[in-house]
Amino acid sequence: MISVNGLTKRFGSKFAVANLSFDVRPGRVTGFLGPNGSGKSTSMRCMLGLDLPDAGGATFGGRPYQQLEHPLHEVGALLDAGYVHPGRSGRNHLRWLAASNGLPLSRADDALSTVGLADAGGKRVRTYSLGMKQRLGLAGVLLGDPGTVILDEPANGLDPEGIRWIRDVLRFLAGQGKTVLVSSHLLSEMALMANDLVVIGKGQLIEQCTVDELVQRYGDRWVKVTSPRAQQLGEMLQAGGATVQAVDDTTIEVRGPSAAEVGELAARHQVVLHELSNQTGSLEDAFLKATENVQEYQAGALR
Amino acid sequence: MIATLRSEWIKFRTVRMNGVLTIIAVAFPLVIVGLTALLIDADDMDGGDLASLVSGTSIITGMLLGVMAAAGITSEFGFNTIRPTFAATPRRMRVISAKAVLSIAVGAAVGAAVVVVSFALGATLLNGRDGDVSLPAGDARMGMVGVVVFAAIVSLLGLGLGMLIRSTPAAVAVLILWPLVAEGLVAGILFAAGIEDAGKWLPYQSGLALSNTDSSAASDTLGRWTGGAYFLAVTVAVGAFGAWSVSTRDA
Repeated sequence: MISVNGLTKRFGSKFAVANLSFDVRPGRVTGFLGPNGSGKSTSMRCMLGLDLPDAGGATFGGRPYQQLEHPLHEVGALLDAGYVHPGRSGRNHLRWLAASNGLPLSRADDALSTVGLADAGGKRVRTYSLGMKQRLGLAGVLLGDPGTVILDEPANGLDPEGIRWIRDVLRFLAGQGKTVLVSSHLLSEMALMANDLVVIGKGQLIEQCTVDELVQRYGDRWVKVTSPRAQQLGEMLQAGGATVQAVDDTTIEVRGPSAAEVGELAARHQVVLHELSNQTGSLEDAFLKATENVQEYQAGALR
Repeated sequence: MIATLRSEWIKFRTVRMNGVLTIIAVAFPLVIVGLTALLIDADDMDGGDLASLVSGTSIITGMLLGVMAAAGITSEFGFNTIRPTFAATPRRMRVISAKAVLSIAVGAAVGAAVVVVSFALGATLLNGRDGDVSLPAGDARMGMVGVVVFAAIVSLLGLGLGMLIRSTPAAVAVLILWPLVAEGLVAGILFAAGIEDAGKWLPYQSGLALSNTDSSAASDTLGRWTGGAYFLAVTVAVGAFGAWSVSTRDA
């Protein structure tokens, strides 16, 4: 269980994180979402005591990170796969990490095997691809078999197979009862991976809810209707106040009435329906809507 | 603390640059002493002369070890490995203490090895050419002990400067230019201002008194052990300031 309470971090006069509070529950994958520059990485660094917060902080099972005697046994964190010395081998990188927390050096080889880098462990990190560095970073996270895992953009640089692997690993860890907090800008991935979401913007909490709740709250919803007489049905729905958008000659999207109301109207007028289904927008749509007022960098219109 | 020391030792020995710098630091005095012992007239060099040569060339070893210690910590900032380091060991003073112990130990061990081996090499070569070299007593011997202490202190100074400055080129430049330029400049200005004994209060010059093999020729310093203690005190102050900086700034 991670509890973040009133976390505040300022760089000069700019608030990177402002009075941020949320909880991350065990046994679930919690996605940490926010636009670029919203304070996700700063929050994670503050939680681990790397950046020193101006106020508030985080606790892991009730204790601040700085009070953990051997933190790798309790919290495994990967903030950036690039935080490695390029001249050191992957195995030796894991060995110094293991030694710092009293773990046997053989754990380095176990962790390398787990992430599929057994053959590359002796090579210097300089020769690794970004995907290999991500795997090495994850090996570091798993070294001490921690109960809590914190990952900042772990899918960066991974190929589709690697992304699926990360997803499976995180769901497996959550399935074992571990607490998993993961940030990602790949929202389609997050939709598949996360159970809970913490959404922040400009350093402040926007929502803490499940993925479904966010989509329900902010996502677009409509009824898809396919019928040989779609145009006629659409006109009747519009007359009743619905918003109707034609997709093609036989398909319309209806916003306003429920699927049941559309079905009953069609039945009354003996309109044959080939499809009548509820549609919801993507997590991406919901996320963009939830954060539309807190986007730090917004692109202008393309001309 | 033992776990942190072990971790820092693994870090130290698994970066190739440290191996290369150590080899250069060891090879430099050996080559100079070896060539001198081969080329000089064997009768012209006694144990005291050899000790003076060993001590003088080992100062370079100390400086290189200081560079290695500075680069060791600045590369942690440069490659951001300081973040996983402090994530693995959140008590920053424990990490800093382990780095300090390691710097002093490497400085003293490499310094001692260089002094012992280069003196033995010089003595063997000279005696093989009908020289008469034996281990000297008094100042000459103390100068060789002192340069080992000097190497250990400069290593610690490198760590302290690295923690303060965080950039490898800048920290190394300060470490090298401090004795070569800054202290000479300050001494010159103070001398011109009529303060003739100011030189003894220059930290690096005081530290060099550790390696003196003839104390009568160094009457304008604080003396071997007082000067060394003063250099150590300045180094500890730099280190403490660096440790405070690392402890109170974002990693």
